[in-house]
Amino acid sequence: MKKAITALVGAVAALNPVAALAASATPKKHVTTTTKTVSGPQAQASRWGYVQVTLVVKKTTTTIGTKKKVTRKITKVSVPVYPNHTDRSVFINQQAVPMLIQEEMTAQFSGNLQLIGGATDTSYAFGNSLQAALLQAKKV
Amino acid sequence: MHRVEHLMGMPIIVAGCDDDRLLDRVFDWFHEVDERFSTYKPDSELNRLNRGELALSDTHPDLRHVLRRCEELRGETGGYFDAGEDPTGLVKGWSVDRAAAILDDAGVSTFAINAGGDMVVRGGPWRVGIQHPVVRDAVAKALELSDCALATSGEYARGAHIVDPHTGLPPEGLLSVSVLGPDLGTADAYATAAFAMGVQRAHHWLARLRGYESLVILGDGRLLSTPGFDALEAGRGLVPA
Repeated sequence: MKKAITALVGAVAALNPVAALAASATPKKHVTTTTKTVSGPQAQASRWGYVQVTLVVKKTTTTIGTKKKVTRKITKVSVPVYPNHTDRSVFINQQAVPMLIQEEMTAQFSGNLQLIGGATDTSYAFGNSLQAALLQAKKV
Repeated sequence: MHRVEHLMGMPIIVAGCDDDRLLDRVFDWFHEVDERFSTYKPDSELNRLNRGELALSDTHPDLRHVLRRCEELRGETGGYFDAGEDPTGLVKGWSVDRAAAILDDAGVSTFAINAGGDMVVRGGPWRVGIQHPVVRDAVAKALELSDCALATSGEYARGAHIVDPHTGLPPEGLLSVSVLGPDLGTADAYATAAFAMGVQRAHHWLARLRGYESLVILGDGRLLSTPGFDALEAGRGLVPA
């Protein structure tokens, strides 16, 4: 398919010198991403204790020729430290802050796994499942 | 080393035990459960009870135990885990807990039982992935688990089989709810209930559960997890003993 498209572009370029010039002048696009975890300071939450927030930030740098564009996106927010040292603190947190960590789902591929959880395996679907593949590969 | 048998419409995998006689006992147990609780077999004890051919007092203690536990869980979940006359939703997790007890009592310290994606693990840590809802050969989360149970309810396997018992409609915005804790039957009921609640209610309810950690996969590609669940992510080195 790729070959066919290249051949087509070549053919068009041969027929049209302007198109050929445009094709050769298109600067290369270069994308790099880095992920960084940043934590704020442990901040005093009145007299009850400390709160700390941690963010995972994905930085995407797109370079086209001399143009450079940087975007940053928060992919995960967590609260590793919060007042939880008394039953009263625990109670208030449970009422006030649902302590769920939010992140973007990614598709993770790993042959290192042994067991697959999830509403996946009816007997009908099992043959094609990731769990069946791991069993066959004698990971378990 | 593992054995797989297909029972109750799903594969049951027992891994980590190489004693054939012990494995026979475990699968005999699952066959016994299937005979008693099947909704497909006309002469199962459950069907005979539901048809009024058998008095509750004449049923096996296991059947009465499961029905009683279903009622308790219905109360604990504000009516969102509603087994009605079909306790199948609890039978799977409960029967795996009992199977694990057979291996515990026999002195097996490292094993895993995975019944259609819901599991009990001992020893380890076991490297466990939560199936990605869209990409078949990928997982949405990789965990390192020891001595716990993990249940997932969602609609990406058997079709939309979970509805909000208060409205009769499938919940919106949720793809699956995974719950991790000491007891698989309870974890499974909690996951089913949270899934039926829908996003908002499940979010608050799960955050307040004691002793059970959870992970929610949302239809928009976000994951929500409790700090305790997040800490079990593979590679964190935070595996509890």
